[in-house]
Parts: sequence; C-alpha cells; structure tokens
Amino acid sequence: MAAVIRDLQKHYVLKSETVRALRGVSFAVPQGDYVAIMGPSGSGKSTLLNLLGCLDRPTEGSFMLGDDDVAAMSDDELSAIRASRIGFVFQSYNLIPQLSVVENIEVPLYYMGNLNSKSKQRSIALAAMVGLGDRLGHRPTQLSGGQQQRVAIARSLVNDPYFILADEATGNLDSVTTEEILALFQRLNDEGRTIIMVTHEDEVAEHAKRVIRLRDGEIQVDEPIKGRKVFTAEQIEEISQNANSSSD
Amino acid sequence: MLLLRTWKLGIRSLLLHPMRSSLTVLGILIGVTSVIWLLAISEGISKEFQRQIEDLGAENIIVRSIKPPDEGGGNFRRVNAFGVSRAEYRMINDTISTVDRVLPIRELTQKFANMGNSKVKPINGRLVGCTSEYAEVTRLVVNRGHFLTTQEVETGATVCVIAATLAQKLFPGEDPIEKEIYLPENQDYYEIVGVLEPRNSTAAIGGSLASQDFSLDVYIPVTTMRIRLSDEVTKRSGGTFSRQRFELSQITVQVKNVDDVPQTAKLVEATLRVRDPDRQDFAVVVPYELLEQAKTTRMMFMMFMCLIAAISLVVGGIGIMNIMLATVTERTREIGVRRALGAKRSDITQQFLVETITLSVVGGLTGILLGLLGPWTFVLARDGVERFAPNLYSVIPEVGRVMSPEIVPASIPVSFFISVVVGVTFGLYPAMRAAQMDPIEALRHE
Repeated sequence: MAAVIRDLQKHYVLKSETVRALRGVSFAVPQGDYVAIMGPSGSGKSTLLNLLGCLDRPTEGSFMLGDDDVAAMSDDELSAIRASRIGFVFQSYNLIPQLSVVENIEVPLYYMGNLNSKSKQRSIALAAMVGLGDRLGHRPTQLSGGQQQRVAIARSLVNDPYFILADEATGNLDSVTTEEILALFQRLNDEGRTIIMVTHEDEVAEHAKRVIRLRDGEIQVDEPIKGRKVFTAEQIEEISQNANSSSD
Repeated sequence: MLLLRTWKLGIRSLLLHPMRSSLTVLGILIGVTSVIWLLAISEGISKEFQRQIEDLGAENIIVRSIKPPDEGGGNFRRVNAFGVSRAEYRMINDTISTVDRVLPIRELTQKFANMGNSKVKPINGRLVGCTSEYAEVTRLVVNRGHFLTTQEVETGATVCVIAATLAQKLFPGEDPIEKEIYLPENQDYYEIVGVLEPRNSTAAIGGSLASQDFSLDVYIPVTTMRIRLSDEVTKRSGGTFSRQRFELSQITVQVKNVDDVPQTAKLVEATLRVRDPDRQDFAVVVPYELLEQAKTTRMMFMMFMCLIAAISLVVGGIGIMNIMLATVTERTREIGVRRALGAKRSDITQQFLVETITLSVVGGLTGILLGLLGPWTFVLARDGVERFAPNLYSVIPEVGRVMSPEIVPASIPVSFFISVVVGVTFGLYPAMRAAQMDPIEALRHE
C-alpha cells in the first residue's frame, strides 16, 4: 500500500464556530494506483489534499504512509517526509525562478540531504525523460507552461516518492498541452508509479483508474472509472514527439 | 557542499534584483565607511593636538607674564612694572632642586628690515630675548649657522638667529648669514649668525597661553636685549601713546623628571606668590597636565565619533531589515514551494539569513575599501577647498588645516565585525517570519 487513511477528520476553529471540513474519510491507495479526487468547492477536497501532502495534520484519524503514521508527526518530521516520500505537482508549476531546470529538479534531494555527485546525473536523466534533455540550463521563465509542468513532474519523481500528488496539474494548460501531461502521467503509471490527482474536470479524471468523489467532507463515491480513456502506446509516442518538436 | 550551495543560491537570489540589493549594500557601506573615516579623522585631530602640546614640552612649566588691565587715567611719569622679574627667575633657578634648566624669555613685537637691501619692505615680527638653551627646550632646529652661544649671551653680543619664513621674506634670493638685520623703531643692528628650520605653531591653551607662531621670530641674547632696549616699551599709535614696563615675558622651567612636573609647578607658583599672594600678573601653564587632559578629551571625542558611526550602521541595518521584509513577502510563494518540497523551518531561516549576511558582508568589505581611501580623499577635498574656495578654507580651524587623518587599524576588523552583526541581527526577524509562514497559506499566495 502506498497510503492508507482511516477515519480522517479535520476541524477548523473559526471564531466561535467549528468548521468540520473532513468528517471521517477512509480509503487506501495501493501501489500503482491512479486515483482522481473530485468534488465541488467546499467538499473538503483541498483539506484532503493538504493532509495527503503532509502539509497539515488531521484532527482525528490516521494516515499511514508506508509504515509510519504521519498524523502525529512534528513539523520537522513532516518536512522530512515531504522531501522523501511525496512528489508534488502544482497547478501553477511552482518552479523556483532563480534556479535552472536541473537545479529545480534537484531541490527535494537538497532538502533530503541527499545531494551528491549521482543526483545531478539522476536529475539530468529525469529531464531527458520528460523531453527537456536539451534545456537543462534554462530558467523557468524561458520555458512554456507545458515545459514548466514537465520539469515539475520530473522534480516530483526525483526522490522516488510513494505517490505523486497532482493538484489541478492541467488547470493552467490548453487542451493540447493537457493531453501531453496526461499522456506523461499515464506513461509513469504504466511504469508502476502511484498517482493521486485532484481535479474538477471530468475529462481529466477520465484518464485515472479510480475516482473518489467528496461531498460535505465525506466520501460520496469511491469506484473504478468505467470507460477509462487510455492513450495507446503509439499515441503516447506521437504526443511526446509533437511536444518535443513544438517546444523547439 | 550543502553550505556552498546555500550561499550560491543566496547570491543568485540577490542578483535577481541588482538595484535593490546594491541600494541595501549602500546602507551598510556608508555605515562602515563612516566608522573608518570618522575614527581616522578624530585620530588625526587628536594626534595633532597632542603634537602641539608635546611641542610645548611635557617636562616644561611655562610661566607667562600677563599685562594687568589699564588703571584708568594713566600716569606718565612713572609706569609700574608687571609680570615676572629677573630676580624671580634667579630665585626659581637657585632654590628649586627638581629643576633642570630655567630660561628667561622676553618677547617684543618689532619691525624688521634688511640692512643691505632697502628695497625689501620691512615686516612685523617678534623679537625674542633668550639664552642659548632656548633652542633645545623649545625644540627649534638650526638649518644653517648656529644658535646663540653661551658666550654670546654672556657678553651681550649684537647677534641674532632668524626664523625660516622671516629669512625668506627679508632676504629673498640671498644668504642671510653674516648679513645684518635692522630694527627701524630702535635704530639698532644685529648680525645674523643662524637660520632656523620651519616649525609648526604650538597649541593655544585657554586664555593664558596664545598659540605661538614661530615663523617670524628673531632671537637675540636676553642680555643684549636688556642693554640695548630698556624694560620700558613705548608704543605710538595714532595720536596716543602707551608705555609698558616688564622685565620678562616668560620663564620656562624644565624639570629633570616628568613625574615631578605637577609638584614643581606648585612650588614655582608658591615662590612667585611669596610676597603678594593675590597677584594677577602671571599665569602658570603646565603642558603635562594638558596632555593628560587631552587624552581624556580624545577618548570622549572617539566615543562620540563611534556613536555617530554606530547610528549610521543601525540605519543601514534597518535598511536591510526593510528590504528583507519586502523580499520575504514577495517570495512567499517560493517559501511555500520550498516547504512543500521538504524544506524545514530552519532551512528557510538559513536561506534568508545567508542573503542578509551576504549583503552586509559585501557592504562591509566595500565599505572598508572606501574607508581606506578616507585620508587620501580628505586631503584631496581640503586641497580642493583651498584652491577653489579660499574664503571657506580660511574659516576651517587651524587643526583642520594641519592635521592628516590617520586610519585606526582596529577600526577595520571592528567595523567589519559590526556590519556582520548588523546583518545577522536585522536579518533574523525577516528570516524567522519567513520560516513561520504556514506552507498552505504560502502556496496559495499570489
């Protein structure tokens, strides 16, 4: 299992009233799963994302990440967990402007304290894998949105995470680039990577294997996706070819 | 390795806003430069003061005659003598055991002319009657010829030694040795036996000892002065004329051991007051005491300068804090991203501290470089003022014109250290604020 959450609750105290953002959510994500988390605003989607990303601690319940319950960890321990076990992909890419492509990919290793002579080769290999092998020294501002998101995906893979946590990863991209990123996700998933993505677009969610719908802080639906959209091997090849040539 | 990367990243982040970073550096730079400059200038001034006092001689006690205020309705038949007398000079010389040498000195303002060349305009100077030891005690150095000898003083010879500036003005393009100087007011001649090296003036001390300018002096034996010019001086100006009577202008007492100076000074004063405890016609000046006093003044002056410099450094530090707070706000998103990617709070603190330390160290180092140019710049500026604004230049106090700033070696490491401390102190708060941010909020920040 990549992640198991049990009876997760999160309450916020605002002035005098308590907002119960999550009211007991339980599910397990096995290794190699591809989950889409959906739900309208106010459903507790963001709260769940923050908890899965170890950016926040639940009020009640447990979150097993491997053999460790991260629900009770200190701030510094959570930082270490984020650095070593979680791969973040954000909607607005969130690359660090003063760093080059390779250096951006290396950042989680730096905070793990694992930066060594091999890590640079690893970062370069990942950049090549997402099709940016010829832009290693570029700054984020010199890249298009799709390229930046691919750097972010390479960055999320550098620490060999338990799962990739993608927060509206295609929200800022046009349909062509969206496809490009989704094809990349599928390729990674086919290679055995676990992906959890939060989205509100059905077309995007259709590419996952399983969907969890939240409503009012509770799970409404947790089911495999019927009629999942799958890119064929040729399509993936073609899309990545196009992406690489269009970025030149 | 990790550390090096942090520094490289810090420098790169700073270079992202070169204008902002250099303005911040400027604050510290000015602070450090002003520390070094102000200390160098205060050191220069106090050294100059000290030199002037030391020229009076730390082992000397100076007794000056003071002309009492005119008693209304002058008496023309008889003028009372004032000041210290030759008898008192002998008394000090004979009775006080701690005394090494005692010098009788009489000074008069006179007009001097070149005997052999009447085309040279006569100039006003100072005629000093003294003994052969005067040169050594007053630290006068002979350039050519010799100073008055004991024999010349004993025999009352009509010889003189003249100061460098006077020699230049009165004998342009001539060798003054063996020429004669003419005193038109007394119709008197003196043969020049020596010319002195130029000498800086001494400090003016309170009201009792005016700054002594040695540049237009003519020295003759005090014995000769007594014979050829009487103790009485008559000055004519406009329609009135005034008369003065005094035997000596000054007695310089040189003490064998510097430690005995304060005690001997009391003894000298007591000796002079034996007959009239309330007499007001002399003053005892003790350069040794002034030297001690000058040391405390110097300390206070330095502390004052340090205070000013410290204020400018604090202002620089506040500049750093201001900029860093703005930077932290601006980079909230980056902080959130770094936290999400696994940065601990301490990593964030470290990152921002590295940046402020870089700013303050760069400011400190360039400040030191500029600081080292301080004395050179000061002299250049002073020369500039002298050339282009002579009016302004003449207003500058004498000390300012003569002194040269002197870098205090300790000021360099101290100011550097302070600049780093300022960087850390004022950088700590913004850095901590950055670290305390909630990563979720920070990520959401636009």
